[in-house]
Amino acid sequence: MDSNVSAQVRKIVSEMSPLDGHTVTSADRLMEDLGLDSMTLVELSLVLESEFELGQIDDSAPALVTVGDVEELIGRAVSDRSR
Amino acid sequence: MTTTHDELESLLADQPANGTDRGVDAHALYQRWENQHWAVGELDYEQDRAVWAGLRPFRRRELMHSLAELEVGEASVTATLSSLIEHARFESDQLYLATQIADEARHVKFFQTYLERVIGMDVAAETPELRARTDYAHYFDPELRRVTRRVHAESGNPVAWQAASTYYHLVTEGVLAATALRTTRQLARSLGLPVLDIGLTNVTRDESRHISFGFLAARRAVSEGRGDALAATYTEAVELAATVLVGPQTEQPAPVIRAGLEQRAALLRAMWAVARDRVERQLRSVGLPDAAPATTNAFDRAVGRALDEYAGRWGRPHPVRSVQQLT
Ligand SMILES: [Fe+2]
Ligand SMILES: [Fe+2]
Repeated sequence: MDSNVSAQVRKIVSEMSPLDGHTVTSADRLMEDLGLDSMTLVELSLVLESEFELGQIDDSAPALVTVGDVEELIGRAVSDRSR
Repeated sequence: MTTTHDELESLLADQPANGTDRGVDAHALYQRWENQHWAVGELDYEQDRAVWAGLRPFRRRELMHSLAELEVGEASVTATLSSLIEHARFESDQLYLATQIADEARHVKFFQTYLERVIGMDVAAETPELRARTDYAHYFDPELRRVTRRVHAESGNPVAWQAASTYYHLVTEGVLAATALRTTRQLARSLGLPVLDIGLTNVTRDESRHISFGFLAARRAVSEGRGDALAATYTEAVELAATVLVGPQTEQPAPVIRAGLEQRAALLRAMWAVARDRVERQLRSVGLPDAAPATTNAFDRAVGRALDEYAGRWGRPHPVRSVQQLT
């Protein structure tokens, strides 16, 4: 997976988390560990789509639990797009 | 004033279900009004201004949408209450209703002051367009004006008066405003906007008196044998309310990331469920429990039609439909 994409995803997630001074890791759970609420998950999706210029993506995951899940999803979408 | 959030929540939420207000009459509601004053000018809007300035675009958009729907609803009810006051059958109702129109003016002032002082809008110049874009203005306001005009035209005919009160107190206030106030207060708290939270709490306290009056009038109509007419009008108004809640005129951000789309749809469905639940409780509370199944079915069908209308209007499915199509 593109490590730049992963780092960028973690940066965006970190900006949306209400926690101060916490270094976001791939293992962090979005809601339980980082305090994102439902509305912020919607917002996060929209921001990621715009940041990485994603149109339609092949995505069958009904839920994203950890930051790593998001990194994987976006990494895959970005590499599909550039193919 | 000392009402806590939790007390207020239960005031609004439980009122129709447990019938605690059954003993309340219009005199008592007038008394409550005297004891529950608040002033738009006493709030310190500066506190929220700094928070608003730091909000991300998505959150600003969500909040603006909620504030616009609330503001237009308040303006609409301020403009239409006079026929119910003029043709009230009892003086005690008339005195109570005269207090209500002052409350509604205060609510318009609160939302406009908030838009001006916190959000930095030029209210005089921008409000007409803001209102025109709302779903309440598109679907409900013309009908509220029609039914309240009829009260004048029919010189206070009790069936026309009750129909107008049904659209006004039971549905605009008891279903739409109660749902919007609840979701917007949750939003204000999660975004950290204390002045908005206080203002909405005050508005909610006022609305709980207004809704109590609506129940009072409706129970009277039922006890006088006009329950069938009331149920029929109520169902029409509820269909319009369901349409406003879906909001075919408002484009919904729809994530392509499935998890985000599912969250979006779940949040919207949860809000619609709050409104639908209030419909059921209201019918029980006014003494028409048998009308509940047909009315909630009508609500569901109206949601379906509004989702179709949304797809026609925007050329793609509403997020709730998109999720249904995925599963
Ligand atoms: Fe109001
Ligand atoms: Fe009201």
